[in-house]
This record gives sequence, C-alpha cells and structure tokens, in this order.
Amino acid sequence: MTTAVKPVKAPNTPPLTIPRPHNVLIVGVGGQGVIMISKVLATLCQEQGFEVKQSEVHGMAKRGGAVFSHVRFGEIVHSPTIPEGEADVLLALEWAEGMRWMPYLRQQSGTFIADTQRIVPPFACRNRTRGARTGYVGETIQTVMEQVENSFALDAMGIAKQLGVVKAANTVLLGALSTALDFPTEAWKSVISKFVPPQTTKVNLLAFDAGREWALGFDRESELRNIKDTRSLHQESTVEAGADYSRVEITEEWCKGCDICVKFCPERCLIMNEKLIVEMAEPELCTGCRMCEWLCPDFAITVHTPNHVPL
Amino acid sequence: MLDQAKTPFEIRDYIRQQLFPHFMCPGCGHGIALRALLWAIHDLGIAKDDLAIVSGIGCSGRIGAYIDANTFHTTHGRPLAFATGLKLARPDLHVIVITGDGDCLAIGGNHLIHACRRNLDITCLMLNNEIYGMTGGQVSPTTSSDRYTTTTPEGNYEPVFDACKLAQGAGAGFVGREMTLQTPSLKKLIQQGIAHPGFSFLEVISDCTEIYGRKNDLGESAEMVLSQKADFRSASYGMIADEVFQPRNVKTGVLYKDDRPEYAQAYRQKIASRAKK
Ligand code: SF4
Ligand code: SF4
Repeated sequence: MTTAVKPVKAPNTPPLTIPRPHNVLIVGVGGQGVIMISKVLATLCQEQGFEVKQSEVHGMAKRGGAVFSHVRFGEIVHSPTIPEGEADVLLALEWAEGMRWMPYLRQQSGTFIADTQRIVPPFACRNRTRGARTGYVGETIQTVMEQVENSFALDAMGIAKQLGVVKAANTVLLGALSTALDFPTEAWKSVISKFVPPQTTKVNLLAFDAGREWALGFDRESELRNIKDTRSLHQESTVEAGADYSRVEITEEWCKGCDICVKFCPERCLIMNEKLIVEMAEPELCTGCRMCEWLCPDFAITVHTPNHVPL
Repeated sequence: MLDQAKTPFEIRDYIRQQLFPHFMCPGCGHGIALRALLWAIHDLGIAKDDLAIVSGIGCSGRIGAYIDANTFHTTHGRPLAFATGLKLARPDLHVIVITGDGDCLAIGGNHLIHACRRNLDITCLMLNNEIYGMTGGQVSPTTSSDRYTTTTPEGNYEPVFDACKLAQGAGAGFVGREMTLQTPSLKKLIQQGIAHPGFSFLEVISDCTEIYGRKNDLGESAEMVLSQKADFRSASYGMIADEVFQPRNVKTGVLYKDDRPEYAQAYRQKIASRAKK
C-alpha cells in the first residue's frame, strides 16, 4: 500500500495546550503490543507535561483474546476511561477489533488508524467444514475509508517486513500515530528508545520513521480510487452451498459397537443404534476430520472427502 | 522405492477382506495399530510383494494374518528369530515383526536383546497392552503396578519393564514409542522406523479392553484410549510439561537413533572380501 509521497499537513492536529482531555484508544489482540504502544504514549505525554490516565484490559491476552487500552491526557484528567464517541484517535492493531470499537471514535474529527492484519478468532470459525466462511467482520477497507474521513489503513507488518524485522510493526504504527498527535518527533524517538530492547533501537527508529512517512504521504483520494473490491478483508466461503462435502461410509457387518467413534467424533454426528451398530445421525455436521476412521479398530468407517490431503 | 505415495490410502487394498470382521474384541487397540502400520506401508510406497510380516503368538500375533502380504505366523516368542533368518536370506524384503509385550519381552526376551545387538534391518512393532490377553489375562512384564490380572489377584507387585530402554541398551539403532490414540503420529513413527537402516524397535501403546480394562475397571474402550493421553507425553514437550502433567513420566516419539552398521550388509561385505583373497 504505497502512494506517491505528497507532503500534506498532519490531519487533525490537536493544539499543545488543550482545554479538554485528548483521548487515544488502542485496541488489538493479545500479544500484538497494545500495552507497549500505550505505555510509550503515556510516558511521552507525561514527559510533555500533561496529566495522563491510562487503563487497560488484557485478560486473555496470551490466548489471543481482545486487549484494549485507554490513554487520556490533558491539563487535568478525571476519569481514566474514554466515553463512547469521544476517542480522538482510535488505533487498531487488528482489523476486526478496529471495527468493533468504531462507536468510540469521535464523529467527524476522530482519526482512525488501523493495521490491515487479520487475526481470525476461533469463535469466528464455528462452521468447521474446511473452506467454510468465517464469522470475521465484513467491512472492507473501502467502506471504512468512505465513511470515516480521517482514516488510515496500513499494512504495518508489511512495512516492518521490508525493514527486516516483523516485530517492529508496532513501532510503524507508532510512527503513523505520531502524525495525529502534535508532539516533537525527537520526543517520540527518545521514549521509544527507552522501551525497546537496546540492540533493536536502530531498526525500531527506522520503523518509526517509515510509519510516520507513510502516514504523511497518505493521499486518501487516490488511495480510494485505487482500491478494488477484491481488497475485501473478509474471506468468502470456498464451499458451494449444499455441497456433499464428506461422506462417512459405515460397513455395518464389521462394526462391533465399541463406541469409540461415537465418543471421539468432535461434532457428535454419530450415534449407536439399538442393534449396537454405529449410525450417522447428523451428516450435515460432519467436517470430514477422519477421527472416526482413524480410531475405529475394525476398519468399519471410511470417510470420503473430495480433496485428498496426505498427512 | 521409498517415495511418498500420492494416492489416498485405502485400507481395503492391504487387508484380506474375506477374513473380516477380525477376531479382536470390540475396542481392541490392536486394530488401530494395524491401520497405522498399513498406512505407513502405503505412504512409503512399499509393494505388498516386497513385504514380509512375521508375527508370534497372542492377540498381536493374530493381526499379521489380516495383512494381504507375505505373512508368517510363528511360535511363541520367536518371531524375531524367524525374521533374522528371513532377513539374512532375503535382504531385499522389508521384514516387519509384529509382537506383543509378553511375546517380545518375556518368552522372546532373549531373542529381542540379540536382535537389537545385531542391528539387522528389521522393524519390530511391539504392541503393548500390558497383558496376555489371548491366554486368559495373565500378568505380563509390562503390567502396571497394582493392576489385577488372573495371576495377580491381589494386584501386581512386580516392577514394570521399560522396553524402549531395554532395546536401546541392547543396541537397537532406532527406538520409538507412540500411542494408538495419536494414529497419524503413530503412522509417521512406523514410517521412520521402516525407513531406518538397522533394527527399529517401536513400542505401540495399545489397549486390551475386554480382559485388562474390565478386570481393572478402566472404563469403556473410548475412555481407555483417551486415558493414554494422561499417561504418555511427546518427548518434544520437555521437562516442565513432564513435571506438571505427567504422572508416569513416559515419553513418546523418537527416543533414540544412531547409524550403527547394519548386520546383514556388514556380513555380506565381509564374506565378499574373504572370497576375493
Ligand atoms: S469424519 Fe467422523 S469423526 Fe469427523 S466429524 Fe465426520 S463423523 Fe465425526
Ligand atoms: S469405532 Fe468402529 S467398531 Fe467401534 S463403534 Fe465405531 S464403527 Fe463400530
């Protein structure tokens, strides 16, 4: 996602002395670095002489759960949390999380910065048939950019990868964030140097510059024109509706009714009938995982799936 | 010959279908082990004519008969002895021995240690179900402590044999252990074992549901299979997992591997160099 660098003024710059607290909401998924980004920001604001309040929820962080952090700064800050519709900047490290927190963004003047990275949560994969549609958010970059005036969607990981360090993706986002807040670049850099491991300082500062440059050179109009609908972040299902995806063939004469397949089937689609022979009860739930086939000691089950994937 | 097969695995191509359903009890783990073996053979692309299956006596010994290949059903404890002769005479065959814990460790224990010592290119699959099932449920060298069998009415007091350590100590070139619960991993282990040039000793954790399971109240077939997970853990999990989760500290996966010279080949070279003199 690169555009010709056209120097524009950083959008939505708050004045250095602000009458009301300035609100930055940072959201993402466990392990992405939401907390690190908010710590950098909070320290920076403090060094700039503001009162800062930060609150975060990082409950199931290690398990890929949602993580968010509110950072508020100003002359005086009372509440540590940002009310709905009052975030001046919404920084999303993951696309779906960004969509989820959209109502918190201040209408018209709020700035939305999002990494286009997709992390599909297990909960969105409830249809477990291979290739099935996930429950991931449907909004495309285009829809969001059309509706939110100050919106930036960048591939931070891609930018970081070009620098050779994927882990610096957060610093790229900090660079983009720096264009939405009026703090001197040097101040940002000195705080970042304090937070990253010493041996990675150099590359992190490069990543910061890259992110900042990207955001400064971002031209919404031409970007919008370039977006094709194919850039949808939502993956369409590859399974035709009603396809006979997998078929479980049961050789009744060989089944001894040991119950292993019934108890091991993750989708609970097999039952034991009154003759103590296994029977397929809910074929539409079967995902073709082959668990029953593998564990049947009597070779009474064969699972036919259209695509043979050798293990 | 050892190319990865591209066609899907159809178990019916490898079994003598006229003998089915097989004689094993409902839920017996040996059936799963047999599937893994045939699957590995298929994936290695071994032709059925190049395969020789040698089995001893016991439930494990019987499963050889269901394989549609060259099969030998030998005397109790002696499959390794038969296999040694077979491999020396026909080094072109893939010789696979199917044996049980009693067959291999008690009655055929002596044959096992010498087969390991010679490091002949044989794959030995020891199906460990902790009991002599076919003869009525007597205690075997791998029966866990305090378990009831017909010969230990007060529970078993004898210490348990660690067959993998024994094989490694005796000189086997490849030693591994896997449970039937992890069928794909078991298949992979068997594949590695067959491909290894040297003696491969593979312990397969299996279940005897009807005799051992019932006498010891270990639950139904599915519970017994699932309980393998509590007792065994992949060697790659490392120490911390062992201490926290693993009551019996028994590892699975490839446990030992070395490239000692293979006996049949070394023997032939020796004879050839003698003949030249
Ligand atoms: S393949 Fe077998 S175990 Fe897997 S979902 Fe289908 S019936 Fe259940
Ligand atoms: S695992 Fe096999 S033998 Fe056991 S109930 Fe299922 S189909 Fe029948």
